Amino acid sequence: MGSSTLLLTGNIDTIAQMSCNPAIGGQAKGQMVREIDALGGEMAINTDVTGIQFRLLNESKGPAVQSPRAQCDKKAYQYRLKHTLELQPNLEIFQATVTGLLISQGRVRGCQTNLDLDFRAATVVVTTGTFLRGLMHIGQNKNEGGRLGDFAARTLSASFVAAGIELRRLKTGTPPRILGRSIDFTRMEEQKGDHQPTFFAFHDTRRDGELFHVEHTFERRLGWAPGCEQVSCWTTHTTGETAQIVRDNLHLSAMYSGEIEGVGPRYCPSIEDKFVRFADKPRHLLFLEPEGRATNEYYVNGLSTSLPFDVQVRLVRSIPGLEKAHLLRPAYAVEYDFAPPTQLFASLESKKVEGLFFAGQINGTSGYEEAACQGLVAGVNATNKVRGVPPLIIGRQEAYTGVLIDDLVTKGTNEPYRMFTSRAEHRLLLNHGSAELRLLGHAAKHGLLGADRLQRITEKRDRIQHWVSRLESERCPGITWGDAIRRHERAAIEHPDFARESLPVRQEVAYRIVYKGYLEREQRQVEKLAQMEHVRLPVDLDYLSLRGLRRESAVKLAAIRPLTLGQASRISGVNPADISILMVHAAAGRAGESR
Amino acid sequence: MPAEPDTIAALSTPAGTAALAVVRICGPNTAALSAALAGGAPPPRRALRRDYHDREGRLIDDVLMTYFPAPRSYSGEDTLEISCHGSPYIVQTLLEDLHARGCRPALPGEFTQRAFLNGRIDLSQAEAVMDLIQARGERALHAAHQQLRGALSERMEGLIDRLLSLLAQIEAYIDFPDEDLPEEDKASVINHLSDLLADTSHLAATSRFGEMLRDGVKTVIAGEPNAGKSSLLNRLLGRERALVSPEPGTTRDFLEERIIVGAHCLRLIDTAGLNPAPAPLEELGMMRTRERLAEADLILVVIDGRRPEELWTDEIRILSRDPRSIIVLNKSDLSEFVDWDGATSSPTLAVSALTGAGMEALFQAVVARVDAYSLEIGADAVAVSARHAFALAAARAELECARANLQHGAAAELTASHLRGALSAFGEITGKVDNERMLDQLFAAFCIGK
Ligand SMILES: Cc1cc2nc3c(=O)[nH]c(=O)nc-3n(C[C@H](O)[C@H](O)[C@H](O)COP(=O)(O)OP(=O)(O)OC[C@H]3O[C@@H](n4cnc5c(N)ncnc54)[C@H](O)[C@@H]3O)c2cc1C
Ligand SMILES: Nc1nc2c(ncn2[C@@H]2O[C@H](COP(=O)(O)OP(=O)(O)OP(=O)(O)O)[C@@H](O)[C@H]2O)c(=O)[nH]1
Ligand SMILES: [Mg+2]
Repeated sequence: MGSSTLLLTGNIDTIAQMSCNPAIGGQAKGQMVREIDALGGEMAINTDVTGIQFRLLNESKGPAVQSPRAQCDKKAYQYRLKHTLELQPNLEIFQATVTGLLISQGRVRGCQTNLDLDFRAATVVVTTGTFLRGLMHIGQNKNEGGRLGDFAARTLSASFVAAGIELRRLKTGTPPRILGRSIDFTRMEEQKGDHQPTFFAFHDTRRDGELFHVEHTFERRLGWAPGCEQVSCWTTHTTGETAQIVRDNLHLSAMYSGEIEGVGPRYCPSIEDKFVRFADKPRHLLFLEPEGRATNEYYVNGLSTSLPFDVQVRLVRSIPGLEKAHLLRPAYAVEYDFAPPTQLFASLESKKVEGLFFAGQINGTSGYEEAACQGLVAGVNATNKVRGVPPLIIGRQEAYTGVLIDDLVTKGTNEPYRMFTSRAEHRLLLNHGSAELRLLGHAAKHGLLGADRLQRITEKRDRIQHWVSRLESERCPGITWGDAIRRHERAAIEHPDFARESLPVRQEVAYRIVYKGYLEREQRQVEKLAQMEHVRLPVDLDYLSLRGLRRESAVKLAAIRPLTLGQASRISGVNPADISILMVHAAAGRAGESR
Repeated sequence: MPAEPDTIAALSTPAGTAALAVVRICGPNTAALSAALAGGAPPPRRALRRDYHDREGRLIDDVLMTYFPAPRSYSGEDTLEISCHGSPYIVQTLLEDLHARGCRPALPGEFTQRAFLNGRIDLSQAEAVMDLIQARGERALHAAHQQLRGALSERMEGLIDRLLSLLAQIEAYIDFPDEDLPEEDKASVINHLSDLLADTSHLAATSRFGEMLRDGVKTVIAGEPNAGKSSLLNRLLGRERALVSPEPGTTRDFLEERIIVGAHCLRLIDTAGLNPAPAPLEELGMMRTRERLAEADLILVVIDGRRPEELWTDEIRILSRDPRSIIVLNKSDLSEFVDWDGATSSPTLAVSALTGAGMEALFQAVVARVDAYSLEIGADAVAVSARHAFALAAARAELECARANLQHGAAAELTASHLRGALSAFGEITGKVDNERMLDQLFAAFCIGK
């Protein structure tokens, strides 16, 4: 977008460091990564280039919920992104810890750092992750820090509280890392990548001229291409002995001894939780995932715990294949401050402090993809704010990114929020292959992609529309190709001209034809809701004095301050009668303005 | 481009039993609908008297229809007002028919909101109406809570929980493909879905006033030949519907007509007389009379008042003691009439079908009896409105699609789409069901988390 930006980080070497699992994508997250690519973000291309294993999940559940997933080389991922940032025009990078915000008259003016250097800015985006008063637990052992080996941002929280921003605590955990040569892989099952990788970036419209892998930046390796060198993951499982060790030592676990006040996620339970809550399940599946090609470190997916280290060692060694395992890093749980996201507008700007934006784990989410797409939206809107342009707000029917942000700012969250496809009511419209087409309008409007790529996406969209209407009208003979395809009498590919189209175009056309009825149905629902989505509510509407509104609804509305009638209707407890009343007042407000 | 607004329909007079009720329809489809109902394009702003027939051609009520073309209507859009008799049964049947014809139930305040948006009323007028709606909404909410505390709530929550658990079964395998979940059990999902479908249908069927009140109270007019059964039917209807003659055995087959008595709808059934010594042809008619009697909700036993009890046939004597019976001693205008204060607990009334004497008392006796029935049924049956019936029907259709999808092995994401459709239809009755509830079920049932 061309705005002059400063990136402040406590440690430049940990830019884009994956705190947890070295994997990108998976259910709903894979779709989000493709959305990021459609909006000009880096995550997709960075994953494609540093990925060491690719799999397409959910092939059998239907095309809309298929998601690409990749294991990345953790260090390569990190350094390539750092390198990309270094090459980025208008971006300055500087290593310093932010200690406080500069705020006056309800507006952010910049920030202070531990180096006693202040920086002034028209807008500020906060992405502190798990670092705000981060506290790590291993049994009774406690260390300050946002991540093992990292610092904690101790003073910044006070600055938020002083500005009237509420903070609460959440917790998350991570499993131990193990030395590969101490693992007996013969006792495990191998999980290979797909023969044909599914990439995240839309390479068909991207023209990847600048494609590079950090390891090869100076030495173009012959024959290298994204996804050409895949590695395997391995599966094993817990045993009866594992369960016994967990049960015998439950009282020593930080989570079970009351050491932790933060709330953890339900979908990512510690091994303690698994044995307590699902006591009748005899064993739990575990995955060993390589952390990279240039390292022998393995991540034990499924074994997150806050038990003391000596118990962890026994625990790990009770697992088939890990009898002689050497632990490189312990498992731990981390507690941190987050700012309940209902304090934000849908632009991710704070309602309390103008010009201050929040993105990522500080908003109560968990996951790299969730953080990345918020970062993208907050960044775009921080620039839009400076330019006085309306913010980028993505609809729930347009992208998982839209669902995520709308859920956060409208409903808030009590546990670390992770995206699931089931959170999207219009899931069938959000298939991963269409991300670029769905978000084309936003990308063009906010200048997020180059003119040539926009052009190629537009052409792709037109070709898809052309083919859909052609196959729906052309006969083969007797019935139309569309009907024949839906009845499984013909495959689109049998059409002689269609076979010549590119694979992404063919896939999207086939999707739209096969799912025609369902897509139309979802589209109709969307159009109905659109009536409400188009009615904007004034930000300063005085809900408490609106005639006719129930007190309970008025209080909720005043707290959330929805931007549209649609958003208002999604607030729990706001009923249809309230919406009728708001609609009348919104229209009255508009009439007043135009007068 | 905003989508075209829906055509909406709702009762615009207070719910409950009143002499008259007004149902209002507004939106783009109103003109076509009015023409179909009135049998030709109705003149603007003139009340037309019409028989309202439902889509299957059954007469629902005799109504007044007034058509107000845009913009000179309350809402500023094409509007049709139908005033019908105030019976909840009629209003509900009428609304259901309008829903079947493509109208959707109006949201609270929606007519006023449209009136305001179309510039028909100003803000202060809208506010005044909104105050009322909010008040009415509160009352409706109160009523809904009352209802929700009772049978309906329990049953709806039960259905929703079962649906959520089915949805969680499907969603778990979609959202957590790489987890170590137990083998997916399609057959059990299909079985549970079928049970849920059956219970939804059952609730939709019994929900309103019970089957009796939905189809009308089956009221059988029975008695000896020539007692004046057909004359009584005609008198109750207020028109000459059945053939009457001094010949016994005039009515050979039963015939049925609906009338509204108080808040109730009655299916009046005139039958062939019960002759102790029938001719072969009469025998057939009497068989059908007995069939009707077996399934009657209410029996009007018509007796020629000139015949003293000793002369009654055994069959009549038994009928007169039936708890469903009201005894009608007919022909009170004749001098040979003997009033009988019978030794039975059934109410006994003297009337003249010829002159109409005693009819008022007969009506009252009928209403009292049917009121008592509704009380009995009301305790168990859940009174859901036409809006609820609309939602339940929608849920049922979605569940059927979901089941078909499961049986044909369609993609899980499509099955889920229908289950969610059903859930949002249930949500129309109980208030929106948050996705969190599905996730709660999912995380409770499956150990998720690598
Ligand atoms: C132990 C642990 C376990 C996790 N487990 C999971 C999991 O199981 N599943 C899952 O999906 N996700 C998990 N995550 C979450 C995932 O790592 C995060 O959601 C994601 O990285 C958040 O991105 P972010 O950009 O918001 O913050 P982070 O990736 O945490 O980055 C924050 C950055 O801000 C910098 N910073 C912080 N404060 C300051 C300051 N005051 N001044 C300057 N710089 C500062 C830090 O140096 C860091 O570079 C886990 C994270 C941790 C730490
Ligand atoms: N005076 C007098 N005559 C009546 C009255 N009700 C019926 N009648 C006469 O009784 C005769 C029989 O009447 P219906 O109504 O046909 O009797 P029914 O019970 O239907 O007879 P079937 O159909 O033959 O069984 C007719 O001639 C009527 O006019 C009454 O209240 N008063
Ligand atoms: Mg007769």
